[in-house]
Amino acid sequence: MNVLEALEKDLIKVPLESSEKYAIIRELVEVAAQVKGYDGDALLDAILARERLGSTGIGNGIAIPHAKSDAVDKVTMVIGVSKIPVDFESIDNQKARIFFLVIAPSKEASAHVELLASIARSCSSGIFRRMLEQAKDADEVIQLFME
Amino acid sequence: MSVPFKQIVAYIDGSESSMTALMYAIKLAKEHQAQATAVYVVNTKALSDLVKSGIFVAVERDEYQRDLYEDADRYLRHAQHLADEKGVEIDTVKLEGSVHVVVKELVKSLGADLLILGGVSDIRSRRDELASETDRMMRTAPCPVLVVREDDDIWDEFER
Repeated sequence: MNVLEALEKDLIKVPLESSEKYAIIRELVEVAAQVKGYDGDALLDAILARERLGSTGIGNGIAIPHAKSDAVDKVTMVIGVSKIPVDFESIDNQKARIFFLVIAPSKEASAHVELLASIARSCSSGIFRRMLEQAKDADEVIQLFME
Repeated sequence: MSVPFKQIVAYIDGSESSMTALMYAIKLAKEHQAQATAVYVVNTKALSDLVKSGIFVAVERDEYQRDLYEDADRYLRHAQHLADEKGVEIDTVKLEGSVHVVVKELVKSLGADLLILGGVSDIRSRRDELASETDRMMRTAPCPVLVVREDDDIWDEFER
């Protein structure tokens, strides 16, 4: 599975309203819970448990909070872009503006791993990251991935 | 390439579309009296890339690797079961590495004349980094590739 296969307009929030790490995580989880009808508390618990192992702020302004949870029935990705750089305790100490929340059921380990790798590859371009940071709405985010 | 096909390889990753492709491969192997091989690749390349990029911590990589090995065993057992149902001989192969690279090597080493895949994505972006492993296999396979579209008829026909 790659980013395009997981991309859904309803699961993109631009701009995010929060400006603090855990509030951002909650906001992204709420999008998944509202759009897909998932149990938001279960998702949040899984994401926070993973975050306790180490920050998912991977540097270059990107964070990818992720977890396995059987509260979802398929691999689900929420994208959020913040206007304000947020301290996500990233490995390069840079603040983050682009967020990918990825949650997958335990039976879809292969698709989960492939999707995370696809996000990492697609965000390896500095130009792409800058364009994503400047996206004004969900349509612009989708268009950037489609180009 | 030989027709009828003699050596058919089906790639499975646990997705529904790959299982459809496997069923198609088993039916085709029966009709052509071909040797079938089902292959699952534990994508250790992606796992190490995820650690390098800081997305996975080491303990998480180990956990996902265990999950992927368990998935491999489960889906390959299922492949064996499906082939047994149809009286088709099948080899089940578990590999690790970069998916399209090791599948290409397997196809070469077996002298396979057909690779069967499911779930090739629609072309929605020209950006190469957004290609899926299935797309890469299709592009790099050293033999003809048959792409099976998701279709309930294949499941129905298989169960007859």
